[in-house]
Amino acid sequence: MITLLWAVLAVIVLIVLAIGLWFLKAIVQGALEGWRSGSEEPDGSDESDGPYELPEECAAIGLLPPDRQNTDSASPVPAELTAALDAVARGEWEPAAALLGRTAAERDWENRSSYAFDLGEKAAQDDTWLLAWETARPDDPDAAVVRARSTVCLAWDIRGGKRAQYTTGEQFRGFHATLQRSRAETERAAGLNPEDPTPYITEIWTALGLGYPHAEMDRIWAAITERAPYHYEAHFSAVQYWCQKWRGSHELARAFAAEAAAKAPLGSLLTAFPLIVHFEHDETTDQEVDRTPEMVALVDAALADVAAADPAHPRLAEVRHLLAYYLSLQDRDEAAVEQFRLVDGYVGALPWRYRADPAAEYCSLRDQSVRAAPATA
Amino acid sequence: MGPTPRAARALVLLAGFYLLGLFLLAALAAADWAAAVHTPGPFALKVFIVSAVLALPIVRGMFMLRTPPYEDVPGVRVDESREPRLWQTVRDIAQQVGTRAPDEILLTGDVNAAVSEDSRLLGLAGGTRRLRIGLPLMTGLSESGLRAVLAHEMGHYGNADTRLAAISERGRVHVLRTVAHFEERAGAKVSKERARQEKKAAAAVAKGRKAKEVDTTGTGVTYRAMARLYTAYGKFYLRATLSGSRRAEFAADVAAARIAGRDATSSALREIPVIDAAHDFYLNCYATLGVDAGLLPPPGEFLGGFRHLLAARHAELDALRGELPTEPVSPYDSHPPIAERVARIEALPDDGRASDPVRPSLSLLADADRSFAAVEETVLTPAALGLRRLDWPELVHAAMSVQTERSAQRFGALALGTASGEDTSPHGTHGGGGTPGHGADADGTPGHGADADGTPGHGADARPGADADADRTSRPEAAPEGDGAGAATLGTLLDAIDAGALWRIAERLPRSAEAAAAHGRAAREFARPQLRAGLSQLVSAEYLRQGQARWQLSWAESAALELPYGQVDELPAALEAAVADRPDTGPLRALLEPVAAPETSAPAQAPAPGPTA
Repeated sequence: MITLLWAVLAVIVLIVLAIGLWFLKAIVQGALEGWRSGSEEPDGSDESDGPYELPEECAAIGLLPPDRQNTDSASPVPAELTAALDAVARGEWEPAAALLGRTAAERDWENRSSYAFDLGEKAAQDDTWLLAWETARPDDPDAAVVRARSTVCLAWDIRGGKRAQYTTGEQFRGFHATLQRSRAETERAAGLNPEDPTPYITEIWTALGLGYPHAEMDRIWAAITERAPYHYEAHFSAVQYWCQKWRGSHELARAFAAEAAAKAPLGSLLTAFPLIVHFEHDETTDQEVDRTPEMVALVDAALADVAAADPAHPRLAEVRHLLAYYLSLQDRDEAAVEQFRLVDGYVGALPWRYRADPAAEYCSLRDQSVRAAPATA
Repeated sequence: MGPTPRAARALVLLAGFYLLGLFLLAALAAADWAAAVHTPGPFALKVFIVSAVLALPIVRGMFMLRTPPYEDVPGVRVDESREPRLWQTVRDIAQQVGTRAPDEILLTGDVNAAVSEDSRLLGLAGGTRRLRIGLPLMTGLSESGLRAVLAHEMGHYGNADTRLAAISERGRVHVLRTVAHFEERAGAKVSKERARQEKKAAAAVAKGRKAKEVDTTGTGVTYRAMARLYTAYGKFYLRATLSGSRRAEFAADVAAARIAGRDATSSALREIPVIDAAHDFYLNCYATLGVDAGLLPPPGEFLGGFRHLLAARHAELDALRGELPTEPVSPYDSHPPIAERVARIEALPDDGRASDPVRPSLSLLADADRSFAAVEETVLTPAALGLRRLDWPELVHAAMSVQTERSAQRFGALALGTASGEDTSPHGTHGGGGTPGHGADADGTPGHGADADGTPGHGADARPGADADADRTSRPEAAPEGDGAGAATLGTLLDAIDAGALWRIAERLPRSAEAAAAHGRAAREFARPQLRAGLSQLVSAEYLRQGQARWQLSWAESAALELPYGQVDELPAALEAAVADRPDTGPLRALLEPVAAPETSAPAQAPAPGPTA
């Protein structure tokens, strides 16, 4: 009996000993890690989980923390557009009609497609005001443009922004059915104002969603370039179509963007598209692909384009965001900070727009550049 | 491996089963002895009881020597006087294989052919041989194909190793049965424990206390451990005998190819999975279509209807025949993959018998229809045999009408927000006025009483529709209460839409997470297809109730609803208008209008040469 007791006791003692050793190891490891990370702290990594703190350098040159960055827009919204959007929220369509009517009269296609998009998004949620407009002025080309845009926006609202594998059959059915409806509407809008490229720009999104063959896309593109050869939103939409994730490939998108950038006059901002194509197809986390001599050259071209552009170009801020991003990745921090300072406060642009938390991503990269750049302020 | 070592191996494996049992019994006995010597009395007693309980299934498994008879597949025994040609064919094949012909032939209702033998003395002595042939299999096979299948089955008898297979089979059955005994006891213990805990929980709830989760883990653990031991041995056993049984299948295939012809054998092998799949489909979509409505096809057609399906879907099935099932088979399957068997047979030299005349194998039967009817009696449960029998076209119309009515009612209840009262409201309308009149009606249709009893699973909500439908088929001019209720649902719903309630109705319908998260117009787009489909069902049900539409049977496709003349084109647009952003029920009401008064509107509706004139 005694030997049995000893055997049992020995087992228990061994187990307790093992557990004790394990704890000891965990404690020592934890202490080591704590000591190591403690010693690193002075280097100032901003990856910490704590609340964001605006670095002094940024505050000194007037840059804003994430919670004060507007994520809905790439730059301040024009007052007239804000007024028009506020009015339609109240059910009044007249200011929107006046605004769009002026863009048509001035042949200001850049702003027209942009305004039509914003109004279309509103109408995709509630189109009571648009119905009132259509009733009051049947065959108004401006209302027709918004109608077509709103239907395409509605289709995307139904689809959601996720990749195909995370999109349900129900969402796809609604998406496709709604896009089908948009076809007649874009056609009608194009017929009502034959000079306007906006309906065709809208149609690119229908083509992209429904998977029009490349020949159809070429037809749409010919119609657009005939009316507005260097239209930024048109090029942006077409690049999306030619991207691998939609209906093209990396090669097709690259060729399209390179040709557009080469043909366009300085100041048209189309040099942004080779960068966008690179961004859309970049699956790596490796910064080296963004620092190749080719990429440096593309960024330089875009810098020159931006410098020559009309300061009132509605897409200028978008391109500056893209430039700031790549300048920062290329460690050209001084130039990056210059762009950051020009756009700070609004982050609704590529590349941040694709991220889960655009403002945080923007501020993180901006702060790194500001710290790395020689003091400028 | 020659037959002798294989025989030895089979015997060793079988002996292993008994050895395992003896070993376990010895271990239990040793535990008892140790307990008696080293522990106090009460604990030793507990050990005795546990070991006795565990020993019981082991002993039972060791002494239950007989393999269980095949009682699971019911069939009709046919003697030589009744089916002379079938018997002649079987004898002929048995003779060519060089084995004794079966003593009994049974016709069954499954897609299978099987031989069995009531052997004695561990399978060392033969007994009554039984051949089972499934009528659905015969329906799908040509005569030469059936000969190949029969030759394969006879080949199992004829091969030298079938007796050994009997031993292997016996061992397998023993192991499985013992495992089953343990699992059964473990299961019984778990459910007992569960019942006990649930009762306790119910009592606790009744007293206003929070009930504990029912937890039965740990119960029956000892049983499961024993079962696991036997399962492990069984897996070892199966792996060891597997190559043998697979070789036996190949050998039987070769025998079949020799007797029935290479091409007939390979095509029969290709055919069987196709027949199997087609028969499953037939049972689901045709034979049992009317069961919910208390209806079956006429006697003999429950099994025999399969003929129509195979004939009508010939081209579709041809595509299936080309491809062989490729899904991996279980490592414990006694049959090799069909693709491999076909490949081996097709690798045999051509025997020049490809052009055997193709006759359906059913022609071997003296009277196929009578056989279908007789086998059907054994396949169907007494409750199912009591169901009302209708010819196929009427069956499809009646069954689909009930389904349409039911889904329309379901949608109506959801849309009008009366879903919680679903059980009472349709039942109430029928129960009140319907039942007394119905009792009288039921006397005339003997199958009707069984309808209520025969489909217990469907309960109250299945019956109103079925009854209403039965009423209609027997008395088309009668308008039971259900019609008024259904028409009222549609009318109420259209009125609600006119009153601007469409999107409130949409919110009552079940929605996907994406649809529920959507706002504004997107939410409407999500809801629209469902609203349109629901409304379409209500309209279809209304047409059916008025006798204006009819479900058409098709053996080649799914049943189609035939709408009143001219409405096929107008209905989609009318439905669309009713669920548009600004709903307009006008077109739909206009379509339904003539239905309400068919006499007056029929000429007006058909200025062109209409079939209704």
